[in-house]
Amino acid sequence: MAGTQLRHIAKWRGEIPIESLYTAGIGGQRFFKALKEKGKLVGTRCRRCHQVFVPSRQFCERCFVELTEEVRAQPDGVIKSFSYAYIDHNGGRLKHPVASALVQLEGATTVMLHRLLEVKDLSRVSIGSRVKAVIKPKGKRIGSILDIEGFRLVE
Amino acid sequence: MTKFMRRALETPKELAWLAAKAALDSAEMKLDQIDGAVLGSAPDAFDGMHMKGEYLADGCGGWRKPYLRCYVGGGTGVYAVAQGWFQVASGLFDTALVVCEEKMSTCQPHPQAAFISIFDPFTEQPLKPNLLWIFALEQNRYMQTHHITLEEIARVSVKNKRNALGHPSAQLGAEITVKDVLASEVMAWPVHRLMVSPTSDGAAAVVLAAGDVARRLTSKPVWIQGVGWCLDTAYWTNRDLYYPEYVEKAAWMAYRMAGVKEPRREINIAEPYDPFAYKELHHLEGLQLAPKGQAPKLLADGVFDRDGDLPVTPSGGLLGVGNPIAAAGTMKICELFWQLRGEAGRRQVPGKPERGVAQAWGDLMQVGTVVVVGTSEPKH
Ligand SMILES: [Zn+2]
Repeated sequence: MAGTQLRHIAKWRGEIPIESLYTAGIGGQRFFKALKEKGKLVGTRCRRCHQVFVPSRQFCERCFVELTEEVRAQPDGVIKSFSYAYIDHNGGRLKHPVASALVQLEGATTVMLHRLLEVKDLSRVSIGSRVKAVIKPKGKRIGSILDIEGFRLVE
Repeated sequence: MTKFMRRALETPKELAWLAAKAALDSAEMKLDQIDGAVLGSAPDAFDGMHMKGEYLADGCGGWRKPYLRCYVGGGTGVYAVAQGWFQVASGLFDTALVVCEEKMSTCQPHPQAAFISIFDPFTEQPLKPNLLWIFALEQNRYMQTHHITLEEIARVSVKNKRNALGHPSAQLGAEITVKDVLASEVMAWPVHRLMVSPTSDGAAAVVLAAGDVARRLTSKPVWIQGVGWCLDTAYWTNRDLYYPEYVEKAAWMAYRMAGVKEPRREINIAEPYDPFAYKELHHLEGLQLAPKGQAPKLLADGVFDRDGDLPVTPSGGLLGVGNPIAAAGTMKICELFWQLRGEAGRRQVPGKPERGVAQAWGDLMQVGTVVVVGTSEPKH
């Protein structure tokens, strides 16, 4: 009702008290294993439509066939789009704005989301800019997408 | 269908794809022969993915196709097949792929916690109820109304877990006794642990086709003869829990469509929803396959055994095969498909069954979903 003050009506705080435990899956674990153990970026290639999915997947959504051929992508890639975020997911102002980009790696036909590193000034970035993945040192890799720190512009 | 298991390494998408691919392979079809795809999956919280309809789309063969997710809680697995049937029976599509998936192991520490918010936030949530409370209250009322004993209820667990020993996808097939069931821990009186289905990961799928297409694809199509569903009040405390009216209404909707007038004579095989032992009996009564309060007696007399007069849950059901919610309902449809084609292997019921009914149940324990399938083409 318009004008109703929340403090005058009964209210109750609740939550759904769960956490989620995800698996990378049959397809995804190839990518995360290679990243953690070797610092390499691997995908899988569809023998029918020739898509190269990076990160690797178990099946091709177009052809519905199992993807068994592993392909290695290069850490170098190209920016397909980019942005600079000043607001966090609660609407708060970020102390350190975050630059993000869609990157297509060399050897992949798919595009992935990641961070752009050391970008203080977006005028240096454009669609088509070349970037390179910055991969954490072995001791710090845990098998996470964050084992890639982000992408750095290649001058 | 995939194996039903406690903890799958596969992602939800991968489980869906494995089941969808198995269904297509068994029909000797490719994805490009499918006009539309339907996903059935229960709460987003289980897989830990909001909007899991779109998340699962690729695994369900939904890429660049008319695709949707349907959801009526635990009733989803049977309802989804009806949803696919609408699309084909309406003439819109020649073929539809129906996939049901659930990965409950994602949900930690236990999927039960995801259910707290299905209860009213003011009148019930502060009491910290658990889904088991409803089932315990319902089972108790069912037992007291008809003077049913715990031993009679326990026989369902014994039968279904034994039937599941013949199912290659089963998680909990076992040879157990009534004594074992009654000796298992009480979870919420009168519900004992061995009267409860497990939490599971898995997926199941079926291919639906218009009559003329189906006849081209196979010499022995299984026909969907009728579908029905019904939702009772969400004020669950106001329902008389001793009898599932909503299942009766859903069943009659499906039976009328199928031209079934005397279910007890015209249904040869039944796959009622059995997440709890008493529910199989409760649902058989709702399905008009036993008089009210009489299902336990018929079970004790062997009528529902695999070689009995009316084989019930020859698959092994949720108690034996497992309970990845939506996938469990579709598993029941798969079982009828194999049984009616004589392809159920060790689980095959004798006597060449011609018509079967599958049923699922869920939401706030008040939705009944029913599909009747048979070996002859329906007249509607
Ligand atoms: Zn492909």
